[in-house]
Amino acid sequence: MAAMNDASAPVLTARGVRLGFADDIVLDDIDLEVAPREFVAMVGASGVGKSTLLRAFAGLLAPLRGDVHLSTAEASASRAWSMVFQAPRLFPWRRVRANVELGLEGLGLSRDERRARAMEPLSLVGLEELAERWPRTLSGGQQQRVGIARALAVRPRVLFMDEPFSALDALTRQRLQSELTELRQRSDAAIVFVTHDIEEAVLLADRVVVLAKPDKDAPATVRDIVTIDLPLARRREQSGFRDHVQRLEQHIGVAATPEETTS
Amino acid sequence: MTRPARHRRTLISAVSLATLVALWETALRVGWLPSNLVPLPSQIPGVLWAEVLDGIWLDVVLSSLSHYSIGLVIGSVLGIAVGMAAALLPRFDAAHSWLARLLRPIPPLAWIPFAIIWFGVTETAAAFIISIGVFWINYFTSYSAVRAINDGYYEVARAFGQGGFSARLAKISLPAAAPGILGGLRAGLGQGWMTVVAAELFGIPGIGQRMMEASGLLATDVVVVYMLTIAALYALFDFLFMRIQRRVLRWQQ
Repeated sequence: MAAMNDASAPVLTARGVRLGFADDIVLDDIDLEVAPREFVAMVGASGVGKSTLLRAFAGLLAPLRGDVHLSTAEASASRAWSMVFQAPRLFPWRRVRANVELGLEGLGLSRDERRARAMEPLSLVGLEELAERWPRTLSGGQQQRVGIARALAVRPRVLFMDEPFSALDALTRQRLQSELTELRQRSDAAIVFVTHDIEEAVLLADRVVVLAKPDKDAPATVRDIVTIDLPLARRREQSGFRDHVQRLEQHIGVAATPEETTS
Repeated sequence: MTRPARHRRTLISAVSLATLVALWETALRVGWLPSNLVPLPSQIPGVLWAEVLDGIWLDVVLSSLSHYSIGLVIGSVLGIAVGMAAALLPRFDAAHSWLARLLRPIPPLAWIPFAIIWFGVTETAAAFIISIGVFWINYFTSYSAVRAINDGYYEVARAFGQGGFSARLAKISLPAAAPGILGGLRAGLGQGWMTVVAAELFGIPGIGQRMMEASGLLATDVVVVYMLTIAALYALFDFLFMRIQRRVLRWQQ
């Protein structure tokens, strides 16, 4: 119990996690610790099991072996974790504000308190004026901002993000990436962020976890964890950025010759 | 559709209906149609008025409305409840799916003999028959509407602490399936009127029984009065229901 109350204790600990099916193991021997307020990105080739691992961290999937420990919610009327999905998955039958209130329901807040709590993250993502709109009237970028507001509203200790920007156009993606860097400075949540975009990972994260298969038929595991020691509000042109990207590309295997990776 | 286009459409519909009625009237007056088989359209308002003054019209309409509403409410509530339960609970689905497949093709009117044996020639028998047709429509539309819900919504619910059965039911299954469920309810409104008249032809008091009496006396004008009454009642119910449907589903438009 003492460790759990320690402010510097990890908010997420995974030990020897194995995922998949008994006859088809997708990921194995996954060890990871995430510190409070840390931003960890997980990169890897498509199909390597990044999203599966994220769901196991959140407790939406049970590992075949190993265990995942997620610290409990600390503040009152909050949740231990929340998630931003690849598609925003807003409920079309709820107005924007009611979508953001979803996770606050059942936490013992009055209706007025819920409303007020939903408006905070909505103004953080710059959408307080659209609070009474229906989701279908929003652009893709606005919908994903609502998805982020919905996740922040519950003041999670860990915020899981599953390729949240991959379905957006390039301009919107860049804008949301820089907004996320600002948001994390105003939030107490640690972030575990899945992406297949290495530059995105280097742009946003404190550490980047590389998931890869040691060979073609083996389950994927953590190949490397790279600390990105660049100050925040990063730009792709700044010195050191490309070095990190190149190192990660080599680990994932994209820098290798195409013949090698496909044969 | 633009406003002028809509007006033109309404005008064309009205003119063609009026032309049809005028042709019907003319055909009878010049003797192309035998007047003992079809009534004169111009007689209908007078006959309706006479039925209203006698108090018969209101009596039979109220009595039909009463079986109709009881059958409709019971059939719809049970149909939606059982249909949704089947879609949400795999064991229940498996337990009753053969029974459903067996009973589904039996038309509601085929239940008339049992309805009369069990309930006699009573209102309850009529309501029972009506509820059967309404039940199946609502059962199938609710079942498919719930089955068609994107699983992603349920994952969102779990991620935000709403993974319990009742929370998922109230926050996802019902609202997400609402367009389909309401479509089924509306179809049931129409199906209900079809069976109401058929059930009353067997002597249960109401519009159907009055039509049978009138046809026995070759009073075709009275028959037409009640045919038009059914059309008007259906149109009224459908119109009111559409208003509610549009309000409930305003997130879709």
